[in-house]
Amino acid sequence: MGNFSLDELMVIEASRYIEDYEVVFSGTGLPLVSTMFAQKTHAPHLCYVVETGPIAPLVLPTPLSVSDSRAQHKAVRLGSLRDVLGCLMQRGLADVGFLGGAQIDQYGNINSTVIGDYQKPRVRFPGSGGANDIASHSRKILIITRHEKRRFPEKCDYITSPGYLGGPEDRRQVGLASRKPLIRVITDLTVMETNPATGRFRISRLMPGVSLERVLDETGFRPEVPSRAEEVEPPTEEELRVLREEVDPYELYIKTHS
Amino acid sequence: MAETTSEKVMTAREAVERFVFDGAVVGLGGQNVGRCTVAIAHEIVRQGKKDLTLCGCNLSIPMDIMVGAGLVKRTEAGTGNLERFGTTFCWRRAVERGTVEMEDYSHLAMVSRFLAGEMGLPFMPIKSLLGSDMLTRQARSTLKKYELIDNPWNPGEKVVLLPALNPDVAIIHAQKADPMGNVIIEGFLAHDVEMVRAAKHTIVSCEEIIPTERIRNDPERTTIPYLYVSAVVEQPFGAHPTAAYRYYDYDTDHLNFYQRCAREGGKAYEAYLRDYVLDCETFEDYLDKVGGLKKMMALKKAMQEML
Repeated sequence: MGNFSLDELMVIEASRYIEDYEVVFSGTGLPLVSTMFAQKTHAPHLCYVVETGPIAPLVLPTPLSVSDSRAQHKAVRLGSLRDVLGCLMQRGLADVGFLGGAQIDQYGNINSTVIGDYQKPRVRFPGSGGANDIASHSRKILIITRHEKRRFPEKCDYITSPGYLGGPEDRRQVGLASRKPLIRVITDLTVMETNPATGRFRISRLMPGVSLERVLDETGFRPEVPSRAEEVEPPTEEELRVLREEVDPYELYIKTHS
Repeated sequence: MAETTSEKVMTAREAVERFVFDGAVVGLGGQNVGRCTVAIAHEIVRQGKKDLTLCGCNLSIPMDIMVGAGLVKRTEAGTGNLERFGTTFCWRRAVERGTVEMEDYSHLAMVSRFLAGEMGLPFMPIKSLLGSDMLTRQARSTLKKYELIDNPWNPGEKVVLLPALNPDVAIIHAQKADPMGNVIIEGFLAHDVEMVRAAKHTIVSCEEIIPTERIRNDPERTTIPYLYVSAVVEQPFGAHPTAAYRYYDYDTDHLNFYQRCAREGGKAYEAYLRDYVLDCETFEDYLDKVGGLKKMMALKKAMQEML
């Protein structure tokens, strides 16, 4: 493999699914890095929206929170949660939503709330935040996460953010406005996306040098497998320069040689 | 009727004595590491107001301090965490032990409950939460979390109704307020405006008190008019260690120090509470202990460089 880390490639690969002019909701961490990277490369007109209220900021490197002043820099408006999660997201004006979570199951459901009994949990996570709103209303959902077996169970302990629930028609049946979102998960091993016919994840790409068997070994559910999965394209020198020098210059999120 | 004006400016101690009571439902403004109500939270801990229910969208360090001090019985919110600085450790521990009850909503759901509250409505419809376990699980003491209805104008379309939330007292930290209680918030607003207008009383701590003439000369900058505000507490750096947009950046050193103590819990956290909250007569004593003028000027400079 070339002179780049898999974290870098995850971020760059996720950004490739963002198109210019799209309205993108993302929190901090790798989603923010990926969004900033898209804005500085192929999607200069994307509208980044932060759940605390900023609309279309020109983000300074590198926010540590959605409440960070760096994520408010030169926004066109510094509004409220209602402005962005209500009047943009629930109103149906969001194209892309980034999500994360402790568990992601075969239908793209996400748990960021509890492991174990809800009333007396074994592990308590931070909770939904804006994630349930993003999962309920976005047309495209992107998830960046390290690939670990425990993160990909067959079924989440708790559904914080709905994917396809238990089948392709379930979102429509429970009344969600975004009925068939395209959910993609980008890991350091693979890219999986939901199959609209079944609502389940299928493998679409493999990271360079990673075998299909390894992905299946390290996934707690059995994803659908294509007859042939393409390899994720490695980053160009220029892409790496933008990522390292302009997006995350202090290596707050990505160590360049991990 | 509007409250009379000149009596609203008071100390944190007076504000908490008058408007926060045992068993109160307390709304908290700000989010994660921005504009959190730390100064007033410290005062609540010093006065030992107990059996509190804390609500908001993201509950951050003020909530964690009150939970760590054993004053909280219940939280209703979208999240508890400080993002990159980690989760709210005292809260996580308390929820896992069952000593604090959490009722989960999404952030839009919480905003919608305040929105109903601020408009004098009993409930608000929302299209989030559908299909999620926020509709199938609830805290023990919650009586009725939601209602699911068919849209009367489009039968077959499901809508979730959420009850209004009108806190007994909302607490926010703002950049500016005048003696009447008119408030200017700079930067992101989060859920603060809806929550304040829904609350029965509001305590605003602010970076500076400005003359009412400035409000009247530039009224389009007023975020919240005085009618909703009960107490104005002038407390520069009152959000420390979190940030106040245009005034100062968050304090990475102290956030990390707080998080280390909170994560460890036990004696380490007791020592934190004693040294940085209980043994401080006012928030000024705390500011001296965390680095004083030199530190505050550095945080101001960091913000200036961003603007």
